[in-house]
Amino acid sequence: MRYTKKILIITFLLCFAIFIISPFLIIVVTSFAKGWFGKQWLPQEWTFDWYHWAFQVANVGAILKNSLIIAALAIGMSLFIGLSTAWAIARRPIPGKEILYSIILLPRMIPPITYALGISNIFYRLNLIDTHLGVALAHVTLCLPFGILILSSTFEGLDQRLIEAAEVCGASRWRTFFHVILPLVMPGILAAIIFTFTTSYNEFTLTIMTYGPHTVTLPVKTYLVIGDGYWEVASAISSILLIPSLIVLIVILRSLKPEKIVGGFKGI
Amino acid sequence: MKNITKQSLVTFSLLSPGLVVIGCLFFYPLFVIIRNSLAFGEEQVFYHYIEFLSSSNGLYVIGLTCLLAFGATFLSICLSIVLILILRRKPLGHTFFKTLILAPIAIPGLICALGLLLFWDKNGWINLLVQSLTNHPIQVNYTIPGLIIFYTWLFFPYTFLITSSQIESLEKSIEEAAEVVGANRWQILRYILLPLVKPGLLAGSIMTFMLCFGAFSVPLICGGDYRPLSVTIYTTSAIFNRWDEGSAMAVVMALVQILFLISYIRIMRRTR
Repeated sequence: MRYTKKILIITFLLCFAIFIISPFLIIVVTSFAKGWFGKQWLPQEWTFDWYHWAFQVANVGAILKNSLIIAALAIGMSLFIGLSTAWAIARRPIPGKEILYSIILLPRMIPPITYALGISNIFYRLNLIDTHLGVALAHVTLCLPFGILILSSTFEGLDQRLIEAAEVCGASRWRTFFHVILPLVMPGILAAIIFTFTTSYNEFTLTIMTYGPHTVTLPVKTYLVIGDGYWEVASAISSILLIPSLIVLIVILRSLKPEKIVGGFKGI
Repeated sequence: MKNITKQSLVTFSLLSPGLVVIGCLFFYPLFVIIRNSLAFGEEQVFYHYIEFLSSSNGLYVIGLTCLLAFGATFLSICLSIVLILILRRKPLGHTFFKTLILAPIAIPGLICALGLLLFWDKNGWINLLVQSLTNHPIQVNYTIPGLIIFYTWLFFPYTFLITSSQIESLEKSIEEAAEVVGANRWQILRYILLPLVKPGLLAGSIMTFMLCFGAFSVPLICGGDYRPLSVTIYTTSAIFNRWDEGSAMAVVMALVQILFLISYIRIMRRTR
């Protein structure tokens, strides 16, 4: 009785692990496989051809560059705008903080496709479609709430006594800022950079409503390639896309408790 | 007095950049789609809404979206309860499993969609297994049950995480008390544990439901002929160029989502 139960639990956990991992595994395997799919469990020949294809035919090099430029712009704008707002939320007395938080997080809670229509409509009029700045601005809608959330929780954790101690010791305002506050909040800023980066790097819905021939990003290219039916090339591109997400997953596990990050984590 | 106004002015100016940007990039676009969705030239201002909500196609799309979301939410609840009951005893490698559960959240939906398509394909690993047992391949991709499985795979972590964060705060002594009084395992689960985690489970499933309701990239790629609301909005406006109708659908979608959001916040507040 005892053993059967144990075996049941172990088989369930194993099946579950296979259920979750296999889709990722099969992407990586497909991206290296030659003339496989459907005959055996694993391919007989391995090849780098699909990566070669991805770079030569699908022009992934240029697309990767686009993705990175857009992500950098989105990070820069989100942090620049988010810093002061996050500071105000965390360190200054504000009535109705909860409402403020929900207003800021609203873009992450409502399906992006709804307001993406409006954004693309406005951007058409402003000639922002198919520019790096335009796509990055669209991404800011999702990156900024995230940035503000992370930064404000970092600033809240800042110990007022340390700042006072610096003042007592005779440090000027600038000196306090550069030598006391900045080193203390650096981890939080780095976390914000990492999270805004992946948000922008992986964003699909808002990109597809604002992109053009010159601003194809990796997710959009993956979508187009899947649509054309080249699943092997799509797998190769996906494998490239996967790397930053995996890094972030490791960072999350190292620094945060999984149970605490649920609040509006994933852009759909 | 003067000092206070000055202080609040500073606070306001610090706050304003973020709020202005969210206003321009989120609330203004929402306003634009609401304005686009209204037909000012026609007899009826709500023409597009009436058209969408009364046509058989519109009802079909809404029904399909709800069916997918309900199915996936139900499966997520089942999967999460079993997983929580197993993982709370902290078996060997429970941290590994908790990491695994995070994977669908942290990895972009597009990649997940491709992986799921490959895995459940007619020639994928699942069908190799099925074929070795029964000789008949099963069709999962581009079917409604398939989409429900995909949604569950993608969004059950939210049910799991919200519920498990609550169950972890439960005291062991309650369970022990029940045991002392002579309750068996099943009774403890049915009469003690489930009622206690119900609010968390409810909040988690509403979260999962909302995400299923708004899912875009997965049904776009894996949906085939089944197009839930988000995909229909996209195809109507961006592909068929009927922006007014698309905007009306988007407004309906946003309203439904806001309703769910409000109930979610209420439940979360009550549990606190």
